[in-house]
Amino acid sequence: MLKILIPTFMLFPTIWLVPGKWLWTATTAHSLVVASASLSWFKWCSETGWVAPNLYLALDPLSFPLAVLACWLVPLMIIASQNHVAHEPLTRQRTYISLLVSLQVFLILAFSAMDILTFYVMFEATLIPTLIIITRWGSQTERLSAGTYFMFYTLLGSLPLLVALLYLLNDTGTLSMHTLQYIQMTNPDTLGTMLWWVACLLAFLVKMPLYGVHLWLPKAHVEAPVAGSMVLAAVLLKLGGYGMMRMMVVLGPLTKEMAYPFIILALWGIIMTGSICLRQTDLKSLIAYSSVSHMGLVASGILIQTPWGFTGAIILMVAHGLASSALFCLANTSYERTHSRTMLLTRGLQMILPLMAAWWFLANLANLALPPLPNLMGELMIIVSVFNWSSWTILLTGLGTLITASYSLHLFLTTQRGPTPQHFISMDPSHTREHLLMALHLIPLLLLVLKPELMWGWCF
Amino acid sequence: MVNVIPSEIRFLGTCIFIVDMLCHVEKTAEAMPSSDWTPFEINRSLPPERADIVIVGGGVMGWSIAYWLKQKEKIREGVRVLVVERDPTYSQASTVLSAGGIRQQFSLPENIVLSIASADFMRNINKHLSVLNEDPVDLQFNHSGYLFLASENVAQIMEENYKTQRYVGAKVALLSPTQLKEKFPWINTDGIVLASYGLENEGWFDPWTLLNAFRRKAISMGVYQCFGEVTGFKYTTNSMNTAEGNKLDFQRIKYANVQMPNSLEYQPVECAIVVNAAGAFSGKVAEMMGIGLGLKDTIAGVPLPVEPRKRFVYVVHCPDGPGLETPFLIDYSGVYFRREGLGGNYIAGMSPEEEEPDTSNLEVDHQFFQEKVWPRLAHRVPAFENLKVKSAWAGFYDYNTFDQNGIVGNHPLVNNMFFATGFSGHGLQHSPAVGRAIAELILDGGFQTLDLSAFSFQRIITQEPMLEKNIV
Repeated sequence: MLKILIPTFMLFPTIWLVPGKWLWTATTAHSLVVASASLSWFKWCSETGWVAPNLYLALDPLSFPLAVLACWLVPLMIIASQNHVAHEPLTRQRTYISLLVSLQVFLILAFSAMDILTFYVMFEATLIPTLIIITRWGSQTERLSAGTYFMFYTLLGSLPLLVALLYLLNDTGTLSMHTLQYIQMTNPDTLGTMLWWVACLLAFLVKMPLYGVHLWLPKAHVEAPVAGSMVLAAVLLKLGGYGMMRMMVVLGPLTKEMAYPFIILALWGIIMTGSICLRQTDLKSLIAYSSVSHMGLVASGILIQTPWGFTGAIILMVAHGLASSALFCLANTSYERTHSRTMLLTRGLQMILPLMAAWWFLANLANLALPPLPNLMGELMIIVSVFNWSSWTILLTGLGTLITASYSLHLFLTTQRGPTPQHFISMDPSHTREHLLMALHLIPLLLLVLKPELMWGWCF
Repeated sequence: MVNVIPSEIRFLGTCIFIVDMLCHVEKTAEAMPSSDWTPFEINRSLPPERADIVIVGGGVMGWSIAYWLKQKEKIREGVRVLVVERDPTYSQASTVLSAGGIRQQFSLPENIVLSIASADFMRNINKHLSVLNEDPVDLQFNHSGYLFLASENVAQIMEENYKTQRYVGAKVALLSPTQLKEKFPWINTDGIVLASYGLENEGWFDPWTLLNAFRRKAISMGVYQCFGEVTGFKYTTNSMNTAEGNKLDFQRIKYANVQMPNSLEYQPVECAIVVNAAGAFSGKVAEMMGIGLGLKDTIAGVPLPVEPRKRFVYVVHCPDGPGLETPFLIDYSGVYFRREGLGGNYIAGMSPEEEEPDTSNLEVDHQFFQEKVWPRLAHRVPAFENLKVKSAWAGFYDYNTFDQNGIVGNHPLVNNMFFATGFSGHGLQHSPAVGRAIAELILDGGFQTLDLSAFSFQRIITQEPMLEKNIV
């Protein structure tokens, strides 16, 4: 654990002390080394359920895939932001990268936290750098509104969570995940306990996001700069899923009845947000709504509380993190060239940037859950487990899959195929940096096809 | 006992609380996340920070393009269009100072086709530009036709033009002097060998109404309007080498700086496409991008050849003048007139032959009327010998000094600047069709209904003029 954490902390001196012209090279290299080192977490050599255990930080098969994802994403974010931040004064560039790295620190601590209250503090702490990134480096006036929505939706959910956690602490005497898994919770069937159940999960449902409380996500994703969108889509949403999985341990038998409305809301959300995607005119907005759609499936998988549901949820979280982040990077390459996110104006790109069209194709196939990519595996497992819970859900999930495929194809065909507009006559050719970025997103996704055990979690 | 509040007082307290809350409803609404209150004073007249397409120039061409762009987006709010116009009073705009004529009698088939398409649009204008719950558009389209008169030397050209016009589909008739005298007895046919009379889709209309119809419809479809002046662009340059090894600098406009009127405040509008529809002042807008400021004999050194040319229009009153059937008459000497209204008023003018009037202001030269226009007018129509000049105004042509025809399409080096200018006096009548063409060029990647690639900027670079043999 420390061999990843200390180099991550040392990224801060790297950022601030490196001379200006080496800033991007040095930080990219350093964070890539940290990311490669974090791959060592894949080697599972523990007899107990946890690896690298101490009182405060440990990893288990649920958290280390997400922690590796968090570490992997930082060099990608730095590579992606290089172009649009490079024109700013040096101190501001350093601040920007520091914010990204501080996000990584909080995320690693969040995923490896052993005490639920530590997890809560880190969960809240990730809000601050993200808010600063969105409101300071976003490109339009609406970013202020986006930041407000982002902050207050999440805080609305997390204050009840704090109260619920303190109550739990009072009740059981500990909040450590080591011990909580062995405590038998006998939750009486009172209104208070039901409210406590909702309070435990509300913050994570808002973060996922669940369909009814998802309004912050399109705003935040669209207004954020590319690194902000990447980290939001790839990792921050997964904090919600991870939190839900951890909290399920203590929520006891109540979940059987209480989860009903939330599962239905999540499944309905898949269809609703999928349909919204078909009508979107803004590229990033479409990808943001597709994130909500996928996370709806994850939320229902977690709430079902079966082994296959959990496994599907983790696989889909990791796969969606990579695929969605890849799509945001592609949208950014298009935005940097044309300065427009409107889909009507950024069409027919295949004629001009054919290699990028290949990446677009791959990322869109990942998004629409093409076999044998892990996106499909996750979705299938969740769909099957939800079907086992109730046969009628196959209507919702089947329709959802259909709509997902149609908007992913619509995205690909609109941006790549079709008549090439006149104003694209000369465009920057694809930079090697952009190809590297896409490769680093999609090659891990392809490798995961070969060994999905790495991210299965402990249920399989 | 002290702690018990009597129920009446509690009720009163609740009432006061509710009333207090109602008074604060506005404050509460402003505090909600969805309101747009900010502690900073926002200048509401500033354009939005980002627009997909910025149209420089709010004349009839600009608003026509804005309307067609919104018409062609297949999904609501598909593109964000911003029209930037620096003069809300339109005091110097060519659109509203125009005589408002529309004719198909050109020599270039492209021009004829544009006029036919535009006339068709204007005849069915309420199918296109009517807004729900608003008054229908009445263009006051007088279908009185154009009458061109030819002398000995130009009769041959007129016959060739006639053949082209009929071939393309314009309804034009050739008249001999006798037929002319029979149809219009008030004409003095001295010196006339041939006349060409437009039978359909020709005449004049009210340019203000057309402009406002386009504007009203476009704004109802969600086009943003800003009163400000585009003073510069922020762009990125991309150098590439041609096959022969010459260096070419491709520029891409990233921001258009819009300056507020009478103020130093400006807003950089981030945009993907800029349409230069600034009319007579398009040359200046093109210069902001450095078009024409490169080395001579390079593409970058070819300027946009559009400059303002002043033309005068005189309103005269003649009680015994030609009647209601008067067409828009254009004499071979260059003088023209048309009926204006039903009270015996006419609009007359002439393109100056030798020296061009000074374009720094819109002052009218009345001497020009006395010395040049009136004699020729009176020669052609004897009744005009006793007329009285009621008023006069001057307007600018967006004169294309190269070949007096429009420039439509994007610039080869400035990737995302489109031109729709340089129509040299026939822009108003072509505006609906050109607007549609530009919208197709931007959204569909190429011309769909009418192919206007003949009007591209290429011809200016390769120095191949498309000369119109019939300029008024």
